[in-house]
Amino acid sequence: MKKLFGLLSCLFFSLPTNAVTQLDDVKSFTLNNGMTILVLEDHSIPNANMYLFWKVGSRNEYPGITGLSHFFEHMMFNGSKKYGPKQFDRVMEAAGGANNAYTTENITAYTDWFPSSALETIFDLEADRIAHLSIDAAMVESERGVVTSERSTGLENSNFRKLHEEVKGTAFRAHPYSWGVIGHQSDIDNWSQQDLESYYKTYYAPNNALVVIAGDVTLPQVKKLAKQYFEPIPAQPEPRKVHTVEPEQLGERRVYVQKPSVSSANILMGFHTPSTQHKDYYPLAMLAAILGEGESSRLYRSLVDQQQLATQVFTYLPESFDPNLFYIYATAAGETQSTALERAMITEINDIIENGVEEKALTKIKNIAQVDFHRTLSTINGKADTLGTYALFFGGHGKMFTAIEDMEKVSVADIQRVAAKYLVKSNRTVGVLAAQKDSAIGDL
Amino acid sequence: MRNSILGLCGLLAFVSQLSQAAFSLPDYEKLTLENGLTVYLMQQDEVPLISLHMVSKAGAINDGQHNGLASLSAAAFGFGSGKHSKNEVEDLLAFHGAELNTDVNLEYTSAKLSIASKDTATLLPLFRDYVLKPQFDSAEFEKAKTRHINLLKQNREQPRQIINSAFNQLYYRDHPYGSPLEGEVKTVQEIKLEQLKAFHKQFYSANNSALIVVGDFNEGEIKKQITQLFSAWHSGDTSSPKLNHFKAPDSAKVWLIDKGDARETTFMLGGKGIPANHPDSVALHVINTILGARFTSWLNDELRVNSGLTYGARSRFYSQSHTGSFAISTFTKKESTFEAVDLALKTYHRLWETGIDEKTLASAKAYVKGQFPPRYETSEQLAVALSRTWSLGLEDTMINNFQADVDALDLSKTKKLIDLYFPRDQLQLVLVGDAELIRDQAKTYGALKESSIEDF
Repeated sequence: MKKLFGLLSCLFFSLPTNAVTQLDDVKSFTLNNGMTILVLEDHSIPNANMYLFWKVGSRNEYPGITGLSHFFEHMMFNGSKKYGPKQFDRVMEAAGGANNAYTTENITAYTDWFPSSALETIFDLEADRIAHLSIDAAMVESERGVVTSERSTGLENSNFRKLHEEVKGTAFRAHPYSWGVIGHQSDIDNWSQQDLESYYKTYYAPNNALVVIAGDVTLPQVKKLAKQYFEPIPAQPEPRKVHTVEPEQLGERRVYVQKPSVSSANILMGFHTPSTQHKDYYPLAMLAAILGEGESSRLYRSLVDQQQLATQVFTYLPESFDPNLFYIYATAAGETQSTALERAMITEINDIIENGVEEKALTKIKNIAQVDFHRTLSTINGKADTLGTYALFFGGHGKMFTAIEDMEKVSVADIQRVAAKYLVKSNRTVGVLAAQKDSAIGDL
Repeated sequence: MRNSILGLCGLLAFVSQLSQAAFSLPDYEKLTLENGLTVYLMQQDEVPLISLHMVSKAGAINDGQHNGLASLSAAAFGFGSGKHSKNEVEDLLAFHGAELNTDVNLEYTSAKLSIASKDTATLLPLFRDYVLKPQFDSAEFEKAKTRHINLLKQNREQPRQIINSAFNQLYYRDHPYGSPLEGEVKTVQEIKLEQLKAFHKQFYSANNSALIVVGDFNEGEIKKQITQLFSAWHSGDTSSPKLNHFKAPDSAKVWLIDKGDARETTFMLGGKGIPANHPDSVALHVINTILGARFTSWLNDELRVNSGLTYGARSRFYSQSHTGSFAISTFTKKESTFEAVDLALKTYHRLWETGIDEKTLASAKAYVKGQFPPRYETSEQLAVALSRTWSLGLEDTMINNFQADVDALDLSKTKKLIDLYFPRDQLQLVLVGDAELIRDQAKTYGALKESSIEDF
């Protein structure tokens, strides 16, 4: 399971001897062009980072340009006005910095990690590509090959990736969460220069970004550089809202994927759930942890340890702007039939629906969240990423510091209620990936 | 994601331990208990957490004929220990938000516990029992063995999961460094519970282990607890296999591993590297950064940026206490397999043919120094560094002199080091892909042997 609770905070065990980050340590300001910047000073190492979160992901695409958000993540490194092709990386690395980027259904994030002496260089590099990206036709062609390789290697090496794509496509028929972030190959092959230019102008506007800087910097220094480099970039009209609401699912949906080289069946279930800001988010996140986080979780204990039907199992509830899916994934052990594994997964869910959970299970999840919070705060990257996540998905970075309090409000009855409301047959999509062909002589 | 190729190089220990800026290890205290247990204590108080690593010189090199024995023996810690069953241990740890993992390497195994400082008195005795008093429950053993075999079979689905091990086997042949860390299906099937008990008795002893404690602890209290809990641990005689008789392969070889439904070819090629304590490790790390260990490296630039053949290409040294290997790795769609292999080789040969220029060297030096401090930012990272230092008999100066070593590198030394330490020929090549399609051309790179991915 993704470490949902790596994000959550501690109210009880913050020892006064430790310089544990508090809400007051985080400073925030907004430039005249609408760009919001969070700053967290941390001088424990002579390094800093800059995380730029753009509110654009695969949910902003439509058929014909699926995968474009992710492709843009690549194009942002391919040259702009002052720093031509290859220069972004060359200049950053020569200054001691490194970077990466990722795209999700909801956002595109760019991460720069550097010695604090390189702060101004980073501002200069980022400002140049935000304001003046070159979308060179030859570069676009070469990058199509890179993204095709990324798509292919994901499908080659990850059963989850393949099955996830199919389950999403089945669970969503209207909302753009339907397609994978990587996009359809035919769209990767065919999007046009015009598509790219319009996407850049619409979404890479300063008023569509959140910037987080953590590390060995000072607030006045960051303010000065932000005004100098980022403020002159003009704001753009608000992007079009994603208004499509996925119609209610009225019965179970199923999908089968054949992959000849798999040694055992893989099952991915997806249940429709509300967005991260909905009141049921914490009960659902805690339910996900009770079911699938660690060796003491319900599903692991039952399926992997006691019944030995699976070699691994996890739950995943993505942070999400729009209603999304609560995932449960399991890999069958050896010859275990997918039907037996599926039945066992559902039996565990039904047990919670019928009998609820013990208070102790909730206490455990809160305790884990408290310790994980400190693990998150032990790196400047953990701090920047988590602040950004709360600011974007939870309604403000302050929510990071009240998360345990928010979890305290969840009762065992809430857990049972959300299980009964969301984790039911008519609301689920079941994907099975296995080696067997799905066609045989005499099929009906 | 733009660049997630690290998955291909699970063996980056060399890189992660040896990059550095103006940094030296925080002060620590090193003690030895009467039974020979080495104890490291390093204070880090940014957050109220402690990392405790019990490191024992018990790795896959000690497997003997039973590949996977060290790995299963480490799994046995989790079968239940002291007075607690497996599930009781798991529940107690989870209730306190603690994390406990074991890492099996070629030359050592680490049991790694991460806890909140306030839970030390409760969880340290549990950790002692975990390492010193496993129950060797036979039902748990059978379950773990079956699961281990199933996981090995699942690894066959992913070329990335097997290529490092395959390259190690091709390069080291029957030397202990060629031992696959997790074993193989056929060897694991034969392992008996009695062998785990014997392995544990032989290798998990006080004088073959070090307890590394990094974090926010009370020094007086933790010393008292450690002395109380670990002084009765037995000492013993351990015998490890001879490691200093390795001779690198004297001819080029190709190992073609067939994966019938492959849509791409994953490959790794290389040869002789350096031991972990090599005096030029840091300088070679800088040169390798230029070749294949950053985004603008020559390999990534040619194979990804210029040609679009792959999502990522890189190179690495993988060093052990007595020797090491060097390898280049990438993947590409199956139709462009040899275009990618040839371009990788051509790019690699630039080391000799055109060499490195002043500007590129300056950039790489700045890069490795700038990226160094975050590698030692947390208690967990520092504990890993101390574990490796102790296990492989390294000196702290390898970390503490990093900046000086980087600064001392100039172009003439670069050229000398390339000639001395990068393997130029007799390269070993592993290809995982559609054998039918690539077999004929694969033969032209060296003596060919062929297996199925199902053999792993």
